[in-house]
Amino acid sequence: MSAAVVTGVRPVGTPRRGVTAGGVVAAEWTKLTSLRSPWWTAVVTVLVAGVITWLSANASSVDPGFVPADSISTGLLLAQLGPLVLGVLVGAGEFRTGGFRSTFTVVPRRWPVLAAQAVVTAAFGLGLAVVTVAACVAGVLPAAASRGMTLDLAADGTPGVLVGMVLLLVGLALLGLAVGALLRRTVPALVTAIVLVFLLPVVLMLASDPLIGGAASEGSGLTVTGTVGVLLPGTAGQLMTLPAGSTGMDGAPALGPVGGGLVLAAWVLVLLGLAAVRLRTRDVT
Amino acid sequence: MIEVEALTKRYGRTTAVDGLTFAARPGTVTGFLGPNGAGKSTTMRVVVGLERPTSGRATVDGLPYAELAAPLHAVGVMLDARSVHPGRSAYRHLRALAQTHGIGRARVREVLELTGLESAAGRRAGTFSLGMGQRLGIAGALLGDPGTLILDEPVNGLDPDGVLWIRRLVRELAAEGRTVLLSSHLMHELALCADRVVIIGRGRLLADASVAEIVARSERAGTVRVRTSEPEPLLRALLERGAHVTPQEPGVLQVRGATVGDVGAAARRCGVTVLELSTEAGSLEDAYLRLTADAVEYRTSDAAGAPAGGAR
Repeated sequence: MSAAVVTGVRPVGTPRRGVTAGGVVAAEWTKLTSLRSPWWTAVVTVLVAGVITWLSANASSVDPGFVPADSISTGLLLAQLGPLVLGVLVGAGEFRTGGFRSTFTVVPRRWPVLAAQAVVTAAFGLGLAVVTVAACVAGVLPAAASRGMTLDLAADGTPGVLVGMVLLLVGLALLGLAVGALLRRTVPALVTAIVLVFLLPVVLMLASDPLIGGAASEGSGLTVTGTVGVLLPGTAGQLMTLPAGSTGMDGAPALGPVGGGLVLAAWVLVLLGLAAVRLRTRDVT
Repeated sequence: MIEVEALTKRYGRTTAVDGLTFAARPGTVTGFLGPNGAGKSTTMRVVVGLERPTSGRATVDGLPYAELAAPLHAVGVMLDARSVHPGRSAYRHLRALAQTHGIGRARVREVLELTGLESAAGRRAGTFSLGMGQRLGIAGALLGDPGTLILDEPVNGLDPDGVLWIRRLVRELAAEGRTVLLSSHLMHELALCADRVVIIGRGRLLADASVAEIVARSERAGTVRVRTSEPEPLLRALLERGAHVTPQEPGVLQVRGATVGDVGAAARRCGVTVLELSTEAGSLEDAYLRLTADAVEYRTSDAAGAPAGGAR
């Protein structure tokens, strides 16, 4: 295996290009797409979204008041886990494997790497989200056909719901990235993200139930648990998938789809900011 | 050019590097030697900006590493074979590194060829043997055609062919005017390819000198070895002359403070038959063991004088 010792293509000291933002983004894209796990995550996400939507639409289609468009987002309930996992893998994967040593010796200012990871996660997440939402739409079609209904995607509110679904999935991918980059370990980051997005809303919902001692919503109609609940990233993001003008959740301020989106965006920005601060101020070992 | 000045790195109460100062100069292979836990890897991580010094500084070409505009072109780094995501192919790993600096595919292919990995380029790094991982690390270090190379234990896990290749490679890199800092725990390996050796123990500098100077400091350097059928009379004769004599294996004496001529003359005077007589050359290994043994003694007296509760 010995090779000839030829090292240089250029003489030492020739000025050359340094680290560029575009270069770091291109490198992160190569890294993301050269692993198997993002592709597997994407395939499973799309399949789960399509199948769950199909099952749920079939179940609802026996209801006399069945509206096909209302079933579109049902598959996301489980499928939204996919982008979250994707983000965590990007954010924590480097630290789990030691790949960060190469990465941060090549880009010693470090934060451009995190910014580039956000860009490529959003881009990959966007592609994944569009295909996932398409799978959801396709999942509704058999049920609609069985009732002789057509699915009108241009109908009032539906375009907004579809856009909201895409944005929710992209937002969750970025949330996963932020948690992964902050905690630097895959399993703790995954558990944290799942607790934040899936578990806490359920816990708060149960806690606010008057039957088990939660505070009843009186007067303003706001409760502490309801308000905290809607400010969690998963719940707030979910608001984007509701048709505009739909009533929000009990005991919670009516944020609306835009408000919900902004709350999710705030979570992403704050956690990414914390991860960036940790990257800049602490050793990476 | 790598300059380390009064570098100290502490982790809580543990001091990994303690006031270390040395330089690695262009056109020179500088060996970086020390027992396990001496602080070699910590020093290298500080030099390449992965860790911040507690005090002191480390610069490459006069700049702290993090301020280099094009780190890949300035410094080639191979710290650890596990600096690669195991799920990524060798080619894609190198390609991603190259893209950050706008380095093209041609150079990626070139370093793969240079390190003998072209046939394994498409394989996932996780399936590589230790030796192949080392080659991949070296490929990454050469990617930017840098003026300075920092290689942590590069011969670790390589087959004899690979060891020979590394030796030639670092000599060639230095001959091209580059700065090479090479850590190893294999002392004879450094003796063969390093010009200068920086030896550290417990984070402190023990020696910074040319290989020849270090070897000259060896315990055995300049001692005379004599084998005879009757060591007793010769031993007495030599002690009378004021030489330092240490009996070794049966019939063999190690003599300090006398030349081969002195020993030969003494043997003739007391009429013993000399079977073997030679001056011993020092070895880097010997010098190294002696230096690090001193460090152990120093550390012990240090701990004894310190207040109780040291983290040892």
